[in-house]
Amino acid sequence: MLARIEYALRETWASFRRNLTLTLAAVLTSAIALLLVGATFLIQRAFENLLVQWRGDVAMIVFVRSDASPEQVALIDGTLRAAPNVIDVDKLRYLDKAESYAEAQRIFVGDPVTLSLLTPESIPTQFKVVPITQDTDLVRSLADQYRTLPGVEAVALAEDEFEVISTLSGFVRNVTLIMSLVLLAVAVGLIWNTIRTAMFARRREIEVMKLVGATNWFIRIPFMLEGLLQGLIGGVVSCAGVWALNSAWSGGVAAFKPGTGISSLVVPGGYLSGVMLVLLLLGAAIGAIGSAIAASRFLDV
Amino acid sequence: MIKLDGVTKIYGHDTLAVDDVSFDVAKGDFVFLVGPSGSGKSTLLRLMSREEVATQGDVWVAGRNVCEMPPSRVPYLRRSLGNIFQDYKLLLNKTVFENVAFALEVIGKPRHVIREQVPFVLELVGLADKSERFPNQLSGGEQQRVSIARAFVNRPLIMLADEPTGNLDPATSEGIMSLLQEINETGTTVVMATHDHRVVNAMRRRVIQLDRGLVVRDQERGVYE
Repeated sequence: MLARIEYALRETWASFRRNLTLTLAAVLTSAIALLLVGATFLIQRAFENLLVQWRGDVAMIVFVRSDASPEQVALIDGTLRAAPNVIDVDKLRYLDKAESYAEAQRIFVGDPVTLSLLTPESIPTQFKVVPITQDTDLVRSLADQYRTLPGVEAVALAEDEFEVISTLSGFVRNVTLIMSLVLLAVAVGLIWNTIRTAMFARRREIEVMKLVGATNWFIRIPFMLEGLLQGLIGGVVSCAGVWALNSAWSGGVAAFKPGTGISSLVVPGGYLSGVMLVLLLLGAAIGAIGSAIAASRFLDV
Repeated sequence: MIKLDGVTKIYGHDTLAVDDVSFDVAKGDFVFLVGPSGSGKSTLLRLMSREEVATQGDVWVAGRNVCEMPPSRVPYLRRSLGNIFQDYKLLLNKTVFENVAFALEVIGKPRHVIREQVPFVLELVGLADKSERFPNQLSGGEQQRVSIARAFVNRPLIMLADEPTGNLDPATSEGIMSLLQEINETGTTVVMATHDHRVVNAMRRRVIQLDRGLVVRDQERGVYE
């Protein structure tokens, strides 16, 4: 058993060095493909931070003063529910202080100054309003009406704030997703080709191995390990890239004035680690898939 | 040890290589398959090592029907066979020692077995002093001895030799044949395809003659004709 493992590792390493140019191309392509996947995740997460308060087709938010009385809150609730032909009353949601504070922590993740000014006691609560109608003028006139209600601090409309970003986010997501899928396929193809070339270069050895009774798995495993290693190294490189990208981005965002909203585009560290782990696994997977296809198809040399 | 029963092999759609061939080879036999090029000698050897599968009939090798063997068992069949070829099939980037060791290594034999067996078998074929040479530093006869050492190192039950003296001069061929005879005397069954008159006539062993895929003569202690 030990002899077999030693053999597999030795052959993997030898083949890895022998084909350096092709190997490098395969590793770099998978790294770039994975980097793009990672960037897609990060961009998506950043936009989500920005759009978190508008999630679920929310088009209007009625902010309620933190010192409003329960009666005032009930009055606002009643007024909102009195317009069932404009507002989807089933989707009407009220966020109390704790919920509003939790949301603010996400929005102001890159803006600690603003966040420090907020406390769970001082934060305004909010009604999230999903309209039924497509008529934005009607929604806008309702908003004007709600601003005059007692206890209302402000009324925000999605149209004014994040409609553009929401559209942009969807567009960016689609483009990066398609590009990374294409590049991932290219990476699998390149690893496949590298392994195929490695097998072709060693066809005499493979022929002799089959002749003297080596099992197909014994012949295959070094090649599959080689592909796995290529994908994994690509994954490590892409992790470094994603980390550098995120650091540069976070630094740039921090330079913006607090409270501009841009600061919420920062991605928290825990999420970044998760993305890096996914990239490593994805790298190993494309390496394994590419080399497995090659090793099972080109064994008959 | 080997039994062919009504074996027919057709390549592609209409190239008949072997036509309804039946014969038995007992354990410890030495058999020549003779006949002109294209008469089906090599195909018979390839059917025995299951590099090809018969179109019809059964091929039994060491008690197993190789035609019905699942592909995953084929490597284990090959471990009980030693193959020798006209072109040696040595790995040029490995030394003599490494070429022979490779055959043990790839079937997972531990290193101490390799260290023990390889020098022994190189001594047997008379190449103990050349174990660190590379194949292209050796003569044709010496290269064939390396390939015999590689085929024999795993102590196969059967040796299949396809024109092993095809590239060699008469004197060298004689040396190779006496080596094969020595191996045969250890109880290993030898099946050798050849069209070399001299070696067949000198040995006087069983001769199976083929012509266009048919067995036309099967004779104990035969000559080439």
